[in-house]
Amino acid sequence: MEHPNDKLRNDELDALFSEYKAALPDRDASANFMPQLWRRIEGRQNTLFRVKRLSQYFVAAAAAICILFATMLAVPNGNEVSSSYVDVLAQAYPTENLASHGILDEADTK
Amino acid sequence: MLVEFELIQKAQAGDGAAFNQVVVAYRKRILGTIARLIGRPEDVEDVAQEVFLRLYYSLDQLRTPEVFEPWLYRLTVNASYDYLRKQRRRNEARMSDLSEQQVMMADAAAGGRVSSEEHRLKQVKDLVDALLGSVSEQDRILLTLKEVEGLSLKELEKIYGVNENALKVRLFRARQRVLNAFEANQKGRSAKPVERKS
Repeated sequence: MEHPNDKLRNDELDALFSEYKAALPDRDASANFMPQLWRRIEGRQNTLFRVKRLSQYFVAAAAAICILFATMLAVPNGNEVSSSYVDVLAQAYPTENLASHGILDEADTK
Repeated sequence: MLVEFELIQKAQAGDGAAFNQVVVAYRKRILGTIARLIGRPEDVEDVAQEVFLRLYYSLDQLRTPEVFEPWLYRLTVNASYDYLRKQRRRNEARMSDLSEQQVMMADAAAGGRVSSEEHRLKQVKDLVDALLGSVSEQDRILLTLKEVEGLSLKELEKIYGVNENALKVRLFRARQRVLNAFEANQKGRSAKPVERKS
């Protein structure tokens, strides 16, 4: 059960809240309200527009870089390796040379 | 609803005149609510403009007319909450620069310039502001919407998007805290009670 003292305090608080509403009644805006609001809206619009344009530039630049890299990968360059690594090694070091270095017996080279 | 949904639809489509009409229809109510939520008349228009600015940029997300008003209230609550949070930080810094005597002198000087009725209303306002200062910004706003603005739990449910029971619990706790602060204030003033309306 609610204590009578609590009820009194609650009632006093309710009265205080309604007086607060009376102390701060609904009020109309000043003459500058709408012009200032539109200025803020337009200011935000300009900022958004600038950010949007900047991001468009970034997207365009990123796309251009991607295309550039893709082209570089797609176009074959002149010194492309046609044989395997082992073939290249065999060509560079013929078996005769290996025998002179003592890696292979001379009998094996024949 | 203070305006027809067709008007809101026109505003959604980018009709500036329609948006103007929506603002004109709601601004008095919103200004009053903000004044009571933040308790600082000098900053009310600034916060209200922020509310309508957010409304302008989020209007395209509105689908049904029934939710327009709770939605506008939600924008009001959010903008007021942002303001109160900033204000609390600013006040902490500012008040720490003033001695208690300076604060009392400033208060007395402000009191001397206004009529006795204005002075009494100012006392009520200051007292409620101080009491609401004993709870968090969110609870202050919730309590003000319920106790001062007189919104029902159903309306609050739509604004906050939480169920009635959760709101009841939160409101009860916030009110208890305010009541405790009120009691402490009354005890402190027992030698010199606050002037009240007869």
